[in-house]
Amino acid sequence: MGRLRPLRTLMTALTSELGERGASPPPLSVDLHGSATGPGGLARAVWAHRELLGILARKEFHVRYRRATFGVLWAVALPVLQSLVLAVVFSKVAHIRHASHYPVFVLSGMAAWLYFAMALAGGSTSIVDGSDLSSRVYFPRILLPLVQVATNLYGLLVTVGVLVALSPVLGVGLGSGLVYLVPGVVVLVLVTAGFVLVASALHVYFRDIRYVVSAALMMWMYVTPVIYPPADTHGPLRAAILANPLTGVVELFHASTVGATVSLAAAVSVSLAWAAVLLVAGVSLHSRFDRVFADLL
Amino acid sequence: MSAAIELRGVSKQFTKYVDTPMLLTSMLRFRPGTRRDRIWAVQDLDLDVAPGESFGVIGRNGSGKSTLMTLMAGITAPSRGSVRVRGRVAPLIAVGVGFHRELTGRENVYVNGSILGLSRRQIDRRLESIVDFAEVGSFIDTPVKFYSSGMFVRLGFAVAIHAEPEVLIVDEVLAVGDMAFQVKCYDRMKELRSSGATVVMVSHALGAVRRMCERVLLLDRGRPVAVGTAEEAIAAYHDVLSASREITVGESGLRHEPDVVKIGAVEVLAADERGCWWRTGHVEAGTQVRLRVEGTAVTDLDDLVVALTVLGADGSVVYADSTAGHPFGAVGAGECFTALGSFCCRLPTGTYEVAVRVDRADLRTTLAFAAPVSFFVTGRNTVAGLADLETAFAREESGGTAVVHDPSSTAGVASGSLYLS
Ligand SMILES: Nc1ncnc2c1ncn2[C@@H]1O[C@H](COP(=O)(O)OP(=O)(O)O)[C@@H](O)[C@H]1O
Repeated sequence: MGRLRPLRTLMTALTSELGERGASPPPLSVDLHGSATGPGGLARAVWAHRELLGILARKEFHVRYRRATFGVLWAVALPVLQSLVLAVVFSKVAHIRHASHYPVFVLSGMAAWLYFAMALAGGSTSIVDGSDLSSRVYFPRILLPLVQVATNLYGLLVTVGVLVALSPVLGVGLGSGLVYLVPGVVVLVLVTAGFVLVASALHVYFRDIRYVVSAALMMWMYVTPVIYPPADTHGPLRAAILANPLTGVVELFHASTVGATVSLAAAVSVSLAWAAVLLVAGVSLHSRFDRVFADLL
Repeated sequence: MSAAIELRGVSKQFTKYVDTPMLLTSMLRFRPGTRRDRIWAVQDLDLDVAPGESFGVIGRNGSGKSTLMTLMAGITAPSRGSVRVRGRVAPLIAVGVGFHRELTGRENVYVNGSILGLSRRQIDRRLESIVDFAEVGSFIDTPVKFYSSGMFVRLGFAVAIHAEPEVLIVDEVLAVGDMAFQVKCYDRMKELRSSGATVVMVSHALGAVRRMCERVLLLDRGRPVAVGTAEEAIAAYHDVLSASREITVGESGLRHEPDVVKIGAVEVLAADERGCWWRTGHVEAGTQVRLRVEGTAVTDLDDLVVALTVLGADGSVVYADSTAGHPFGAVGAGECFTALGSFCCRLPTGTYEVAVRVDRADLRTTLAFAAPVSFFVTGRNTVAGLADLETAFAREESGGTAVVHDPSSTAGVASGSLYLS
């Protein structure tokens, strides 16, 4: 009798499936001519797998935060700790001059920077790291880097919450400036997504991207105005800061608390230009190679 | 009705990099460029599989079977030609894909199910039946790291089967797991088929292919060699194996010294009820088998060594032995000699081949090798693995032991499956 039970459950599943599917013929689930997918094909595949993005992001989130003891606490503590250390080191030891409220300046810049750094580090290797999945079943590979862009938003949310809670304590009253966070987060996500899409595609082929990215992130932070205000800089350093796609983002975050120090419009335009170029490049890389990434895994 | 799977002029090329491409080195030009080989894994393949058909793909290692499977599953795209598959594809290579040890069974079902193309609502509705099928019960809310490997595989398989695929792609994965689980898998596949699903099976297990598949494709070096009934394709497969084994069996590590010995006939013989030995292709497990090898010496030989190798269907060596160390005797130039090898066929059911080689007595060179001869072992369907150790099962009781099953007491009686060829 026990042997019949699975059969019965299978039959119920089958009949409910027939009800769902109705009489329409099954769609073409694989329709490939040559190896390139094309932007349209990629868009259709992403749409068809849109729920998977949410489910993979939730999985990543659960694995990262919920199961680890004090997981959420770490998500809060780490960025705050890192920002505080930087604030102390650079204000007391390096004597960085900043008009006012240096700790809040560092904390608001770090909120954006840490999101970018975490998402880029995780996202650039995501297709290779997910090879267990991607070599055995098809779904648009672009979902894997996008999952990183999405899950790290949780950490960003937490740091922004800490920022808002801590600023008054550190002597910065927050007001209408907070609305700058909205464009700040939007531009941050666009720039991050651009870099992550390009790096994740390249990393499938160039396996040293992993190291290139971590080395780049280390140096990059020093040409991003998270530690010192860009107003203090001159020459090539200043040029680098102005060309840096993250300057606009970080300055939007500064604008929400202690106020921006460079022309916001110019810096944000630079960020958006970078984002546009990188997103176009990233999407075309992914649509060209979506179905052949698995060959290299 | 249109085909469930339609391949037109499909070719797939892989690039094998001798060293992993590196961005820094290629930018700094330390090397003149990345060294690479290009391989055509599948070439010029046209194929139609009808809805509801069960289709098998066989071939040697590296013949392109897995590549064909990934093409059908849409995991990779063809370099040339077109692949169309109608309906939802569930590759059984995807059993348990995306399972994370830290997540509970339930959470993993959602991840795995949506990877296989189910919506949240569909999974909601099927969850109960998935849990039932996998027989994991209350463990569904336990992280899967606490599962036994059996539970893990069952849960993975339950999700795959509840994805209600129109096209199910099955591979060697079914060769793992215990016997009961394999039987269960095959039962489910039959049920799916009777509900109209197309099954594509890629396997070395010729027995399973023979049982399950109506039509079988034989691939060799990426090219289709034969498409037909399982028997036809398997026969063609043996031709391919024989043709290639001439090279591989010679790889005894010894240099080949031609024109000293010629091997003529190699025959597998089995006894009938009256004790007469006949040439045969079918052997009852546990019975005596004779191997008869005829050869001719071209030059005078003081002594020689006859070696035999029994190979499994996938080309693995099941057994190898020779007369090395024991004199066979002298053979004069132009003389014929016949070697007889008798062995007890302690092998599980399946297709085997026996290859014969003649070496010099000093084991420095190989003088001749014969194309392998295949034979089929019947009668021990429940045995898995490489060798049949003929375990006698008994039950220990207070008053002694009661025999449950003793294969050696039933074997030896030749069955009606013997035939002349
Ligand atoms: N991702 C890959 N990259 C490079 N070469 C590959 C890749 N996959 C398969 N090959 C090559 O393609 C050929 C066919 O392999 P495969 O399809 O795995 O054969 P089979 O499944 O019949 O053993 C082999 O020579 C193999 O080395």
